[in-house]
Amino acid sequence: MVSFFCKVFIFLFFFLVLMSGREFFVSRYEQLGWKYRPVKLRQAIRFNCANIKSQDLISRLSCLGLNLEKISFLPHGYWVCDSSVSAGATAEYLLGLYSVQEAAAQIPVILFTDLKGKTVLDASAAPGGKTVQLADSMDNTGSIVAIDINKRRLTALTNHLERCHVKNAVVYQIDARNSPKLGLKFDCVLVDAPCSGNFASDPMWFQNRTLQDVERNARVQREMLMKAAECLTDDGEIVYSTCSLEPEENELNIDWALHRLDLQVAEINCTGTPGLTNIFGKQLDPSVACCRRFWPDPTQGFFVCKLVRRHT
Amino acid sequence: MRAKTVVDFALQFGVKLSLNEELLVQTDGRFFLLNSQIKSLVKDNFFYAGTFLGKVKNSKFFPSFTLLSMIAKQQEANRILVDRKVGWLFICGRDIFKKGVMRTYGKIQRNSHVLVFNEFGECLGFGRVLAGLEQQADKNVVAVANVLDVGDFLRRERDL
Repeated sequence: MVSFFCKVFIFLFFFLVLMSGREFFVSRYEQLGWKYRPVKLRQAIRFNCANIKSQDLISRLSCLGLNLEKISFLPHGYWVCDSSVSAGATAEYLLGLYSVQEAAAQIPVILFTDLKGKTVLDASAAPGGKTVQLADSMDNTGSIVAIDINKRRLTALTNHLERCHVKNAVVYQIDARNSPKLGLKFDCVLVDAPCSGNFASDPMWFQNRTLQDVERNARVQREMLMKAAECLTDDGEIVYSTCSLEPEENELNIDWALHRLDLQVAEINCTGTPGLTNIFGKQLDPSVACCRRFWPDPTQGFFVCKLVRRHT
Repeated sequence: MRAKTVVDFALQFGVKLSLNEELLVQTDGRFFLLNSQIKSLVKDNFFYAGTFLGKVKNSKFFPSFTLLSMIAKQQEANRILVDRKVGWLFICGRDIFKKGVMRTYGKIQRNSHVLVFNEFGECLGFGRVLAGLEQQADKNVVAVANVLDVGDFLRRERDL
């Protein structure tokens, strides 16, 4: 009995004290080649081009005192430079002419080759920023099946769809790990997986997270990837993304997918740094370098990867 | 029957909407209009699909903003045009004074419903006419009472 309690104590000490906290994670980032520094995120918005021409919206927002700067690596993304009004509370926002969406979070959708007329699965879709972006990129053609397990978050998603006049989405309350039960095949699957997040977008991140949380999320993400692959057509594309900086949820998951699923990493033309191929001494598949990692500043931390069926 | 609820609502604005009953679906009192591409993807347990038209609660129909936009696209729709300031006050839930109405279109009668358009021709919501807008009445009276405005999206976010 004493031995059992000793084991429990060692386990808790190991995970909750030694494998958590700012110093632990910062030293991991340094081992991965990035020196920690506090980050101030820039607010970004994305124009819904199906609803308005960019130039018209720029001048309308400028009249309101909302000054914008084009984000060089995004087709419809703008930094909010200075503003006398809240970007999330203008008539233009409420009319669905633009969405408030973090810059890095706008990247996954633009990685799909061509979305118009396609059948798309948005796994773990809520709160819906990327679903609206998908519909906008598709110009409301084709179809999107958006799923999420949480009903409250689905309500937020459907409010977004209504605000932005999305017409080609069908929403289900389903766990992404049950997506094959829909009985459908998809040309494109977006796996914007639930993740541990990162310190840039959550000031209490270091206090709240442990390596155990990260590993638990990584397991769920692997299951989601596996189910996404089951729903994919032969020439389909999966875009996998997280807003985590932890390699367990990113490069290590992709390396796992390359060995376990019938998938390969596709080259992407995208900003960010190449995916890491050596994680704490473990050598990964060289194609993992085709993924993109975003260390924070000026965006939040982010990771993105495009996967296609392996060609034999 | 599903279409009738929506069509009757549109008639309040002087618009006769034509809806394909086969593309209308309903779940939990909410009405949706599908298109041919998504029709085959809609199963019994769907949460949301296609274009949300509105919901029935306590036997009363509450329109969606997409339905209001559909009605607004019809030339014959009863509507008033307001400037930016009045439009913003309307979005904040305020009624519209007669002096705030720049133009009127269609048959505007007391107790009828009108769409409220901003200067760019976008529908901000709708209201009920309290005073005859065509008459030489006091400009400082409330002419249109706010019934629904797009500021509702912010109120919904707050309530989530």
